[in-house]
Amino acid sequence: FLGAGGGNDIQWCFSQVKGAVDDDVAEADIISTVEFNHSGELLATGDKGGRVVIFQQEQENKTQSHSRGEYNVYSTFQSHEPEFDYLKSLEIEEKINKIRWLPQKNAAQFLLSTNDKTIKLWKISERDKRPEGYNLKEEDGRYRDPTTVTTLRVPVFRPMDLMVEASPRRIFANAHTYHINSISINSDYETYLSADDLRINLWHLEITDRSFNIVDIKPANMEELTEVITAAEFHPNSCNTFVYSSSKGTIRLCDMRASALCDRHSKLFEEPEDPSNRSFFSEIISSISDVKFSHSGRYMMTRDYLSVKIWDLNMENRPVETYQVHEYLRSKLCSLYENDCIFDKFECCWNGSDRQERLFPTELLLSSFHPLCSIVMTGSYNNFFRMFDRNTKRDITLEASRENNKPRTVLKPRKVCASGKRKKDEISVDSLDFNKKILHTAWHPKENIIAVATTNNLYIFQDKMN
Amino acid sequence: MLGKGGKRKFDEHEDGLEGKVVSPTDGPSRVSYTLQRQTIFNISLMKLYNHRPLTEPSLQKTVLINNMLRRIQEELKQEGSLRPVFVTASQPADPLSDNFREAQPAFSHLASQPLLPTDFVSTMPLESCLTPASLLEDDTFCTSPTVQHDGPTKPPPPALQPVKDSFSSALDEIEELCPAPTSAEAVAAVTAADDSKDHPSESNVQKPEGLPESRTAESKLMDSLPGNFEITTSTGFLTDLTLDDILFADIDTSMYDFDPCTSATGAASKMAPVSADELLKTLAPYSSQPVTPNQPFKMDLTELDHIMEVLVGS
Repeated sequence: FLGAGGGNDIQWCFSQVKGAVDDDVAEADIISTVEFNHSGELLATGDKGGRVVIFQQEQENKTQSHSRGEYNVYSTFQSHEPEFDYLKSLEIEEKINKIRWLPQKNAAQFLLSTNDKTIKLWKISERDKRPEGYNLKEEDGRYRDPTTVTTLRVPVFRPMDLMVEASPRRIFANAHTYHINSISINSDYETYLSADDLRINLWHLEITDRSFNIVDIKPANMEELTEVITAAEFHPNSCNTFVYSSSKGTIRLCDMRASALCDRHSKLFEEPEDPSNRSFFSEIISSISDVKFSHSGRYMMTRDYLSVKIWDLNMENRPVETYQVHEYLRSKLCSLYENDCIFDKFECCWNGSDRQERLFPTELLLSSFHPLCSIVMTGSYNNFFRMFDRNTKRDITLEASRENNKPRTVLKPRKVCASGKRKKDEISVDSLDFNKKILHTAWHPKENIIAVATTNNLYIFQDKMN
Repeated sequence: MLGKGGKRKFDEHEDGLEGKVVSPTDGPSRVSYTLQRQTIFNISLMKLYNHRPLTEPSLQKTVLINNMLRRIQEELKQEGSLRPVFVTASQPADPLSDNFREAQPAFSHLASQPLLPTDFVSTMPLESCLTPASLLEDDTFCTSPTVQHDGPTKPPPPALQPVKDSFSSALDEIEELCPAPTSAEAVAAVTAADDSKDHPSESNVQKPEGLPESRTAESKLMDSLPGNFEITTSTGFLTDLTLDDILFADIDTSMYDFDPCTSATGAASKMAPVSADELLKTLAPYSSQPVTPNQPFKMDLTELDHIMEVLVGS
């Protein structure tokens, strides 16, 4: 694992939990996306009610070296509202599907948030001063009687309580017939892509009234539709390259220089099916729910229902590594199909690099820096989440729960007993709670801090600092 | 998720089963495969047509379920290649098509014709046993599950297996009573079944349409819908309900107790799985020994007697 000492496993400790305590989950509070910004100072969550909540990390107190800064609420705003599609007589959910941060260029922060149909660019800015001493207005805003003004003065800025304001700067609408599942900002920081079930569009951040369609897999005859797009992402370094995954377990890499419409892939990543594992559900469990490039862009990670796979972009015919998340569910697939759990979309993430700063593209080109992506993390059921160390090949299962979670106490590893006699402290597959699913996790880009979202709570864990 | 002790029961049962079974080619594996397939088929149908969300259903989910249905239907077609299997979807086709066509009013048809999950597994009226012999005959010629693996591009001919046990002799008796359908007759039988949909007075129950007079309109409507995501009649999901009803005459319908509330909200995730997994666990697991082609479809002889009585009219 990472760490100055090297060779030591990370010891994860509970740090904080955000959200309602009671078991009765309000639908609107269900967390639907979690994302750190590029510095890790800000942590954004989106929920089913269309709200975005941003947490800010406290500046580290140098005297308190036993823990890193805590995350406190920084800004809350309503990003999307429910809409009604009159043509189809259907509601458009306000649920936030994805949030992506832009790199910081000035004092303000910018993020993209999207629901099923509309993407919005939000500016989050701080105000800690306000002008005082207007000539024509009183302090409370009422206009003064001009005849009482006898002198002129220049208004001055005086400090005020910090106010964080979020304002929508761009609204990118009416470009998607189907449900948006991904947004990804290009490494040029000028364009971004948005992907729905059948199409991928390319936008310029400044231009809202048009977008370019770069992938279209809608068949002429919808009856022939057998495959949809499930996720898409730009390459972290090559601004002409992106990948998209499908419900059939394939990933296509496309080069936008090849043609305007990237319907023909440059590379097709697909692992041949294992005949011994074939079942009625083979296709469904092969559907990829998330795809993430490594920081260097040399590798990418995909998540399907039962496993996490690491692909080398230079090898298309199979992944270089496969990690089983919850193989014990393979014999339960029929039940999971019946109760729809088999369609749950788990995300996955790489560990951040705690060794070097995040660099802007020009600096990356000049340096020979390759960040480590040595640990992958993903969620499971029963509020369990899993981490796999690619170097040591060790894995760990941890639980996000309010019980047994004291700050600075190392989390106890969990174990699921697949069959046979259950040992003490093990949990049998039959007693797993499939309502408690961890779909969204995020890793701080620079430190060993992770954010794990249960249904309506956000857990923050840190490694134990010595 | 599962009932307590379920696993233990299963192990015992499996041991018992394996104790009795002389060779791996025996009936129970074949039965379990067919039943599992039918279970999944029914679950898939219910998923597609049973819930009415206020928002558009997930296209990915719909596509995956449709693919599942197609695969199973392809397999059934290959096994009983004399008689293609159709699934009635004329009424439910509309909401599906509406999802995938732009600027179309959705769910208006669905609202007027509520679909009950039990319809798919209802006990059929006796008069609707139109082609029991053909079904029985086809079931004896089921090919192995490995057919599914090769996909529709590789169509093996149905393995005509010699049947030698008492079941088969009873089968032969039935065949004498009702002439065994050839492929042409099988198609005719299906056509007859389809035609019966247009005549509400026929006993072939098509419950998906709540109103009899809508059936004719619906089946024609489905054929003519442009851009309809639903499969066309050539490879469509028009159910021959007699097949389903015969196969599931003895199935405890409480397993398919799909309350629209629970299926829509996904609640009680511990409850629903009990049924499917327990059903599977009472049978040999699909993932165990591969099933070889020589599988006569063994039915309960008492059930057979019942059918014979019906045919003979006694």
